[in-house]
Amino acid sequence: MDRTTEDGTAEWRSPMVDVSGLSLDELAAQEGDSALVRAMRRLSAERTEPSEPIAGFNSAL
Amino acid sequence: MKTFRLTDTAFGELAAGRPSPATVGVLRRAQASRHLLLLSEIRKLGGPIPDPLQLYDPMAALHTSVSLAALRAGAAPPSARVAAGHLLTATHDGRTLRVRLEDTDPLRSHLGLAPSRQLTPEEVAQWQRLLSSAWELLTIRHRSAAEVLAATLRVIVPVEPDPGSNGLSATSAEAFGAVAISTPADPRSFAVGLLHECQHSLLNAIGTLFDLVASGGARVCSPWRDDPRPLSGLLHGAYAYQSVTRFWRTEAAARIPLQRSGPGASGARPAGGGPAELRGRLAEFEFARWRPAVGSAAETLLASGRLTAPGTRLAQVMRDEMAGWAGDAVEPRVAWLAAAANAEHTARWRLSNLVVGADTVAELVAAWQQGRPPPAGVAAELRPSAGRRLASSERLTLVHRALREGGDDPYLHDEAGTPRAAYTNDDLDRWSGMAVRSSHEALRERPELVRAVWLALGKVGLDEVAAWLSGSLMSA
Repeated sequence: MDRTTEDGTAEWRSPMVDVSGLSLDELAAQEGDSALVRAMRRLSAERTEPSEPIAGFNSAL
Repeated sequence: MKTFRLTDTAFGELAAGRPSPATVGVLRRAQASRHLLLLSEIRKLGGPIPDPLQLYDPMAALHTSVSLAALRAGAAPPSARVAAGHLLTATHDGRTLRVRLEDTDPLRSHLGLAPSRQLTPEEVAQWQRLLSSAWELLTIRHRSAAEVLAATLRVIVPVEPDPGSNGLSATSAEAFGAVAISTPADPRSFAVGLLHECQHSLLNAIGTLFDLVASGGARVCSPWRDDPRPLSGLLHGAYAYQSVTRFWRTEAAARIPLQRSGPGASGARPAGGGPAELRGRLAEFEFARWRPAVGSAAETLLASGRLTAPGTRLAQVMRDEMAGWAGDAVEPRVAWLAAAANAEHTARWRLSNLVVGADTVAELVAAWQQGRPPPAGVAAELRPSAGRRLASSERLTLVHRALREGGDDPYLHDEAGTPRAAYTNDDLDRWSGMAVRSSHEALRERPELVRAVWLALGKVGLDEVAAWLSGSLMSA
């Protein structure tokens, strides 16, 4: 995992920013924030890679 | 700016496919965040912004994704989304599942399958009945899975059935909480189909939080698809089938509760008994099939060297989950049929997807003709991908029928030689059947090689060729 917190809890830190409580205007006001820039860059890279469709479970037996 | 974090305990539960409600809440917030970031990109490009935003709606997220892709390609985005659909509710034992049956959204085909036409009121009522029955089964026997499903699933998109399968379903990374699924054959199929697809949604959401697999790498054999899959696809399959395996384990235990504490199942051939004993053992068979399949997929992923730290943790947990069920007993005949089904799948995959080069075949033929042992290090290459192919086998259909309804067939008695002539004239079926039953290691492990050499030699006994290749090639 990425790190151990001060109280000894092991935890995983995501590069994804939590902006779920923001409006678009509030998000725009944060432009330039380093964590936001990294998250945007990662999302952009993810969307430019060809993705495989996850289709094909045959549920009936 | 705040970023998402998960304790290792929460991550471990999530990796096992049984996240807490709080962890599902984190995943939902991460998807809402992703949705907002995509909308901000649309705004920068001058595209239309919906009002209200509906950050948590899967079809709204899909609309945003499609709109952004169109704008980046210089095309017009789709017209504004009109929320519609039929609200379905299922309640049992104090737990409620609420979903939207989406049969009009023009973008629903982006979930990966051909959508059904708009449903009639009778068809909507049928979906409601099926959902209620599936939910009853889940809340009674699969309580934890039901809670994860209720926290994740928001939209069901009915799709056209696939001629090659009896029930088909799909998810998209762009629509967390939406499942595309053909009309289920029965409530149990519906229940396991929804669990399976919701796991894909969960893994997509984990992928938003953490990179799991380095891009690139060879395509590999997946236990549940006939086409070669990238490692990310194998990971998705393993994660979804982990929950499918748990579902069938519970179903099998509900039917035969006294059976759970015996010795572990093996693939050894059955000592006796008849097909009458098989009837009603479908759940046990499915459990016995997928337990080793998920375990071996996890091992393949761990051995690939392409997993990130979170990806490694995920695969380790899946491997350990399956290992924890290794002691669950399975009736010997069922265990043998399950092992044979997995072996046949691998043989079919090799015969379909691997090709032995002409130079290699010529070298082997020359060695045979000169009375030499086969050269070491003979390799087969992956054919170019021919697209998605669901796992399919006539023998598997036969076994499913016997487990479901009873019935008799030489294959179920493991009669020597029957696969060579029985069931079908299809070349692939015959070769894969021979591979499963062969006493020659080369035919069991490298059927594509035996076939290539035998066809090139002509008028030579198959057993002779298989024995020759097994003699030294397999020990090299």
